[in-house]
Amino acid sequence: MMERREFLKLAGLVAAGATLSACTPAYRIIADSLESPAMWMEGDSRAFRILNRLTYGPTLAERQRAAEIGVQAWIEEQLDPASLPDLRGDLSVRPLTSLTLDAADLAAWERDDVVAELKRGALLRRVYSHRQLHETLVEFWTDHFNISVEKGACWYLKTVDDRQVIRRHALGNFRDLLWASAHSPAMLVYLDNQANDRRAPNENYARELLELHTLGVDGGYAQADVMEMARCLTGWTVKDRFWRGQFAFQSGMHDEGTKRVLGVQIDPAGQAEAESVIERLAVHPATARHLAHKLTRRFLDPSLDRAPEVERRAAAAFQASGGEIEAMLRVILLDGVVANPDPTPKFKRPINFVTSGLRMLQTTTNGGRPVQDHLSRMGQPLFEWPTPDGPPDEMASWQGGLFARWEFAYDLARNEMEGTEIGLKDLLQAAKAESLGDAFDALANLLLGAPLPEPARAEVLRRIGKVPEHDGPALLLAGLLASPAFQWH
Amino acid sequence: MNPATDCEACRWVVPAATPGWPAWMPRLAFHPANRGPRGDVLLVVFLRGAADSLNMVVPHGEDAYYRIRPSLAIPRPNDRRAGAYLRSLDLDGFFGLHPALAPLLPAWHAGHLAIVHACGAPDESRSHFQAMELMERGLTNLHGPASGWISRHLASLDTGNYSPLRAVALGERVQRSLRGVVPASALQSITDYHLGGDPQATARLQAALATLYAGNDPLSEVGRETLAVLETLAGLGAERYDPRPEANYPDSDFGMGLRQVAALVRAEVGLEAAAIDLGGWDTHFGQGSSEGLMAGLLADLAQGLAALHADLMERIDDLTVVVMSEFGRRASENASLGTDHGHGGSLFVLGGGTEGGQVHTQWPGMEPGQLFGPGDLAVTIDYRDVLAEICLRRLNNQALGAIFPDYSPVLRGIVRPRP
Repeated sequence: MMERREFLKLAGLVAAGATLSACTPAYRIIADSLESPAMWMEGDSRAFRILNRLTYGPTLAERQRAAEIGVQAWIEEQLDPASLPDLRGDLSVRPLTSLTLDAADLAAWERDDVVAELKRGALLRRVYSHRQLHETLVEFWTDHFNISVEKGACWYLKTVDDRQVIRRHALGNFRDLLWASAHSPAMLVYLDNQANDRRAPNENYARELLELHTLGVDGGYAQADVMEMARCLTGWTVKDRFWRGQFAFQSGMHDEGTKRVLGVQIDPAGQAEAESVIERLAVHPATARHLAHKLTRRFLDPSLDRAPEVERRAAAAFQASGGEIEAMLRVILLDGVVANPDPTPKFKRPINFVTSGLRMLQTTTNGGRPVQDHLSRMGQPLFEWPTPDGPPDEMASWQGGLFARWEFAYDLARNEMEGTEIGLKDLLQAAKAESLGDAFDALANLLLGAPLPEPARAEVLRRIGKVPEHDGPALLLAGLLASPAFQWH
Repeated sequence: MNPATDCEACRWVVPAATPGWPAWMPRLAFHPANRGPRGDVLLVVFLRGAADSLNMVVPHGEDAYYRIRPSLAIPRPNDRRAGAYLRSLDLDGFFGLHPALAPLLPAWHAGHLAIVHACGAPDESRSHFQAMELMERGLTNLHGPASGWISRHLASLDTGNYSPLRAVALGERVQRSLRGVVPASALQSITDYHLGGDPQATARLQAALATLYAGNDPLSEVGRETLAVLETLAGLGAERYDPRPEANYPDSDFGMGLRQVAALVRAEVGLEAAAIDLGGWDTHFGQGSSEGLMAGLLADLAQGLAALHADLMERIDDLTVVVMSEFGRRASENASLGTDHGHGGSLFVLGGGTEGGQVHTQWPGMEPGQLFGPGDLAVTIDYRDVLAEICLRRLNNQALGAIFPDYSPVLRGIVRPRP
């Protein structure tokens, strides 16, 4: 079932278009009632493409909003998530009580329940939140500061990290985000820093802090810097008895000697040693370049010639603002995405494929096991990416999971997943789809922004058309969800 | 590899008219060019619960073995006090197979079966969980990549094979060794691998997908490959698969699983790596000797492997099967006629490229001074030596550092390089 407000809006649009011929596809009806009627027409779907990239699959309401105020203003709204009421997103995760608990309480829960709620929470917010850009950034930083719940105590520590590190700072200042991540028990466990003892230093976290989290692999540090940073981080650990799961600095494990990181001598100062390096790393030019590069590639296809220029300006904006994520993002979105006349589509990762199907069809979902199982089969179980580089952002890594996408498409279209339901009849009624062809065009408009081009449109209709009447739309829907076109955004 | 060279090696493919795509869909798609050829199909059989390798591959030349296992020892091949069917089957004058492993003798005599003894991992936790975790991740300690070794092998070798069945986990869940970047399909049965629902409707959907995936781009290639796999498997169905007459798969989950593997291999649907589990080896109580609890498990194992060997004889030079377990069991029997958690174990390698018909070992001995820790067989060959050699020589993968990141393997001549 679609949200009532959006349903009414759609119904209103349908009524407004009642004078049009009965077989006019839904997108035309909507388009005619909007200020810039051409926006959703075939052949000019730039706004749709931009929204498709910046959301987990644009709903009709989002498409309408962007049409009303313009894409640029829509992005400005999204860059200021606090200005967007998000009752729906908040309500969707309210039943998931573990998301609000502290580590010590979570540790007393069943492991499977904690992990299940963490996964459900992420999926539900991506589907239901109006703050789509914020959720996209939450995902970006979740990947950037990847933590797998499969490692040690991360099964419950990640819930706290998700809330207090990633979600809290996703659109804030990078220094705060990095600081919070470095003090996050989940990160210290995931990258073995809890075992980093002066008698047996463990470089794992120190290395990834430099290589993945800040400077980047070509960021100008040496192996000696990794070893010295690891020495600074000795004793950064996690309490395991009283105040279980809280950050702790164990001075007994800490290397008291003088260190030298990135050319600067660090005098003995306990916990403050690593913290002083973290402060420097957060605003280091190499960090700005590394983050701008990754973030640009999240939103722009790497083949784009102008990407390096966008990256350069994004890095400059980041540094000029003292590490504001929003400053960097604004450059990438406005100079990179909006100003680009012909953005190259990106292959959807499994999570984007799943959420876009759910969102664009106004699906009701509890985000539970059946949907999560599908994500696993596609190769992207949430919060389980094993390596610290996070799930990759390129087509080659994901195209092998195509059959799993088809299975999801077919299950979703037929309402075969418990806890997840599409109101296909309502959708088609609202679109006044009277023939199978109408239904096909209306659904294609919802999912692809335009009807399928000929001759594919006629050919698919011909091949599916002969099934019993009531199965037709569901099969067409499955075909659209499984189509190559829907694998891109 | 140098990223710049890497990039030059890539090409951007401009698909011609792509019928299923709206005008704004990508006209460019990435096509990696640095591919390596495929090697053998790898099948890893994991014996869960720590199999007692001293009773699988019996050191009948060790007096100590008979001294410390008065009830459980498998009689010597020439022990006339025991019925012939209860004696170990001599392999080389020192080691012998458990009589329930007799079905493996043809493979042994054909030179297709190698045994690596006193083999295992350095981990001394004697914890099933930790040992399996480490072994399946191919690590020395838990501070390392969370992905599995097979998955890292697949990820580090682009064979240009995007089949949805490139990596298959037989059973309900994907084994740890297969978890990681390359998606592995968990299959209970080949018959799972189809789009469910009304067959007529499904056929129409697949016909529509064939239209939509008619383009000249990499994703459409994957789509068409997937459709072809679906079609092949639909005509194959596990119950319809016809093994060679001499292949008698046991009527067990394990036997069924191996049958599916053979069916997938013979159907040529892109299978490169498969994993299957056989459980029940944690024999602390009433383990049995030549007969009994463990003998039943061994019979299932041996009959299954023998059937697979016979079934895939025509393709045996393109197959490598590894049988492994998380650790061995205590050298001496316990008071419950079982054995407790030990250390060194054994590993079987089956396939046409194996230096077979030999027990590869640096036998540490079983006398008191020779046993390890609380009285266990010592580990003299790290299991990663064997797996790394298989990756290198049979799977065409040289990225051993990516697969076993904290270990420098020693090649031990257990398999031959592929021709």
